[in-house]
Order: sequence, then C-alpha cells, then structure tokens
Amino acid sequence: MSGRKLAALSAGAVLLVLFLLANSPRELSRRAAFLARSASLELAARRLGGSGAAFDRNFFIFLETLSRQLPRDVVGVAIFTPRPSPEALHLASYALAPVPVVMNPARVPPRWLGAVYDLPPPPGFRILAQLPRGALLARP
Amino acid sequence: MSFTQSLLQVAAVLTVVGAVGWGAAAALVPAGARAERLAWGFAAGLTLTALSVPLAFALRIRPGWLPFLVLAALAVLPARLLRLRAPTAPEPRAALDGVTIGLGLVLAAGVVLYALKALTEPMWANDFVAIWGLKGKTFFAEGRVPERLFLWKSLGFSHPEYPLGIPFLYAGIADLLGRWDDHAMALLFPLIQVATLLALFGWLRRRGATRQLALGAAALLSQFEPLYRGFTTGMAEVPLSFAMLLFGTSLCDRVDRTDHGAARRLVLASLMCAGTKNEGLFFVAAGLVVVALSALFRRGVFARAAALIALPAAVVAAAHRLLRRHLPLSDFDFSLFRRPGELVHRVGQTFAAVLRETPPLAVVGLAALVVLIAAGRHSPAGARLLALAACALAAYLFLPALAVAGPAWLVETAFFRTTAALAPLVAAGVAVRLVNGDRFI
Repeated sequence: MSGRKLAALSAGAVLLVLFLLANSPRELSRRAAFLARSASLELAARRLGGSGAAFDRNFFIFLETLSRQLPRDVVGVAIFTPRPSPEALHLASYALAPVPVVMNPARVPPRWLGAVYDLPPPPGFRILAQLPRGALLARP
Repeated sequence: MSFTQSLLQVAAVLTVVGAVGWGAAAALVPAGARAERLAWGFAAGLTLTALSVPLAFALRIRPGWLPFLVLAALAVLPARLLRLRAPTAPEPRAALDGVTIGLGLVLAAGVVLYALKALTEPMWANDFVAIWGLKGKTFFAEGRVPERLFLWKSLGFSHPEYPLGIPFLYAGIADLLGRWDDHAMALLFPLIQVATLLALFGWLRRRGATRQLALGAAALLSQFEPLYRGFTTGMAEVPLSFAMLLFGTSLCDRVDRTDHGAARRLVLASLMCAGTKNEGLFFVAAGLVVVALSALFRRGVFARAAALIALPAAVVAAAHRLLRRHLPLSDFDFSLFRRPGELVHRVGQTFAAVLRETPPLAVVGLAALVVLIAAGRHSPAGARLLALAACALAAYLFLPALAVAGPAWLVETAFFRTTAALAPLVAAGVAVRLVNGDRFI
C-alpha cells in the first residue's frame, strides 16, 4: 500500500470515528422513545412536548388555545406578558401566523385584539374568552 | 391525525414532486447516471414546487396541484425532447465486496440517524420559527405575500431581506398536502440529505472514482453531525449545502465540458443558490471568479459559463427586488468599511472568537481533512471546488466583523452552523483529488 493511500485511509478513519462519536447513544434512544410515545398525539400536543415550547410550556398552551379562540376577521393580537422575550415573540408569531403579533406594546393598535398571559386584564378591556393563565380581550 | 398518517401523506407528496423532477432531469443528467438523476430530479421537483407558489400568486389562483402540474408539464414535456444520451457504455456491474457493504451500512446508518433526529418532533429551531416557517406558514394561510413582512419594523426579526425560496417551498408542500404540518414536513430534510449523498456519489463515479471511494465519501458525509442534526432541520443550511454541491459540481462539468447537460444543471443550481440564502448569491459570485480563473487557461469558457451562472441568480435577485424593494442586511454594519481601524480590530475579535469556540475534536478533524487533501493529487475540478469552499469560508470568517451585535455573537450563533454547510462541497473537492487514472483508491 502506498504512503498516500495509507494517509488517506487513516485520515478517513479518523474522521469517521470523530463523526460517530458525535452521536450520543443515550440521546438517540431518548429521541426514539419520545417519537414512539408522541406519534399518536395530535400535532399541537407533539409541539407542546418538544424543544420549541420548552422555555415555557404553559405559554404554548395559552397560545394554542388563543389561536383556536380568535375570530376569523382578527387583524392582529397584542400579547401582554410579564416575561417578554425574543423566544416568546417568535413562538407567538409562528403559532398565530398569519395573524400579526406584537408583545407588550405601549398601545394596542386600532382594531387589534389583546391577550394577557399571567397578568390581570388591563382596565378598559372586556374579556372575549378565558384562556389557560390568561384571557382574550377586546376594547369595549 | 397521527404523525404516521401525516408522514405517509407528506412522503406521497414528495414522491410525486421527485417523480416530476425525475422526468425533468432527463434533460439535465446523461442517461445511465441514475444516482445523479435522482438527486437532480429531486432538486428540480423542489424548485418547481417552490416556483408554483409565486406563479399562483401572480395569476391570483390558489397554489396547489393545478399550478404545480402546469409547471411540471412545462418542465417535463420539453425535457423529453432534450433528453441526454449516455456518453459512454455503462460499466459492467461489479460484485459487492465487504468494504462496499460496510461503507453502505455506514451510509445507511447516517441516513437513519438523521431521519430520527429530524423527525423526533415538529421543527423547532429558532430560525425556523422566526424566519423560514413563519413566512411559509403566512404564505400558505394568506394565499399571498403580505407586504407587512417587508415593511413592519415589528417583524424585523423575521429577516425580510432573506430570499423567499425556502418559505415558498414550505408553502408549496403545504398547499400540495392541503394543510400546514410542520412535523411531517421535516421529512424534506432527510430526503435532501439523501439527494445530497446521491449527487456526491454519482458525480464522483462519473468523474472516475471507484465505487468504494465514492461510497466512502458519501458515507463520511452522511455521518457529519454538525450539518445533519435536529437543530438544523427547518433551517436553510441543509438545502443550501445541497444547492452549493450541485452548483460546484455542475460548474466543474461546464468548465470541463463533460456533457451537454452541464449548462442546464448550472442554471438550475444557480437559481437554487440565489433563492435559498443571501450567501448563495455571494457563492454564485465566487463561482464567477472561479470560472474567470479557469478561463485564463481555457479559451472560450468564460463568457458563456459566466452568463449561465450570473443570469439565473440575477433573475432571482431582480424578482426579490420587485417583490419587496431594496432591503439592507440588518445584522451588518457596512459603515465599518469607512472605519478601517475599528474593522481590523473586529476581524481580530472574530478570529479570537473562532479559536475560542472551536472544540478540540474539531481541530483533530480539520487536521485529518488537511491530510486527506495532501494525500490527493492535483485535480482541476478539486481545485475549483475547494476554491469555492475557501471563498465561502473566507466570507463566513469575515462577516462577524461587521455584525451589529458584535463579532463574538455571530461566531457563537451562526459561524459553525453555516460553515458546516460547506461539507458536501468539500467532500466532493477532497474526494475527486483522490481519483486518478490508475484508480488510486
């Protein structure tokens, strides 16, 4: 075997070992178990149990219920939460899409609905629907 | 609906998409190159699916099977007339040996592992939720491209300046499926991985690699976890890595004039690169430079190849400009070019952050890669592919210096993920250097 060939085969073997080491058997078995456990659930329940909602699973429950309560002609939703974060804004925008979402705005835009999460409804709004840990609101 | 049912439906949709692409690929890939035809066919099918969405919007009809099938007919019927013949007689089939079977098993394991990682849960990466999935879901649900995506400051996090190819693709699949299912749709990603591996294997075989070398390169790539993992599923890196491989290999084929389909493949790959990510446009520009350098040694190559590369990308860029007007790259501060002292300092910070964040095992891997490159022989195609990868790497190394949030932020959040997308291109460039007349490996 030539030196070049030996070098190439050795380097290829090193790369293969490194790549195989990157796979944790524990993680793979956890994934397989999660998939087997969740496959029969509906899509929203699968997302609830997944990584995307892990930062606050109650917030995802709130969003999912909110999306089912929104009237067809809704223009946008202003969500008020004590823990605003980019993650929460992104998840809310995605979960409610195509309905536009803003988080903790100074003023609710005209014709938009409001929603509170882990906060009491602000004065001057009426409750359209109770949500888990929150409510869907409209101007009077 | 259970995940299994949904997955089967998405698989059926993507099978139809692939079958249409297979028909169109008759004009792209020489007859007999089955692995490449599957890969290019999948690429063509995905491109048609994505294109069917803005076409339907332009015609003010609902995206779905009708516009897709119209586009499919427009692509497949001419492809039958422009069908490419096999350049040479097919090689006799060799018996499978132990090494080939072993490499095949490693490759199959890589595909299964990525499928498991991609399909464990609905696509969840922040860039999917905030950018690609948000736009795709909006296009699907509204049946149009709402202007607010490009105009509202509150939606700046969704990066309105990014190309729309992937959101159109997601919307196209959802329209064919009849609903938005961000879990089953993740099947797209393992299938893109498979198409990438087929493209790599098929191209290397056509370039004279033994079955073991081609399979070895594909098997190694299939196990490349920084690219093929749960986190990248839903984001642009896996599709872009596929597009860049197709671009690089078709560029080499066009310069070397291997077959009549090379020019058509280059057009499709250029479209895909420019439509997937902004750096795809940069990559196309790097391709122009590589072709220009190749033209120094081969007359008559540059003008036509440059047109094949630049025109499709220019059309994609112009279509985006028309749709959303000019939008600046919001993550970058280009005024730093007027402050060279600060820019140089930031470049230093970028290199320091890259060195700090590079895991020790990655250094071992890079050393092994250097050995593999050194063990090969000079190959113009290999040089072009590695030059393209080097251009992209240089850009990824430089860009953090311009980041508004600071070099360390971009290195930590994007550098390793984006450079991982160069893996298929590098694999092709390294492996083709190991091919020579007497079948080195």
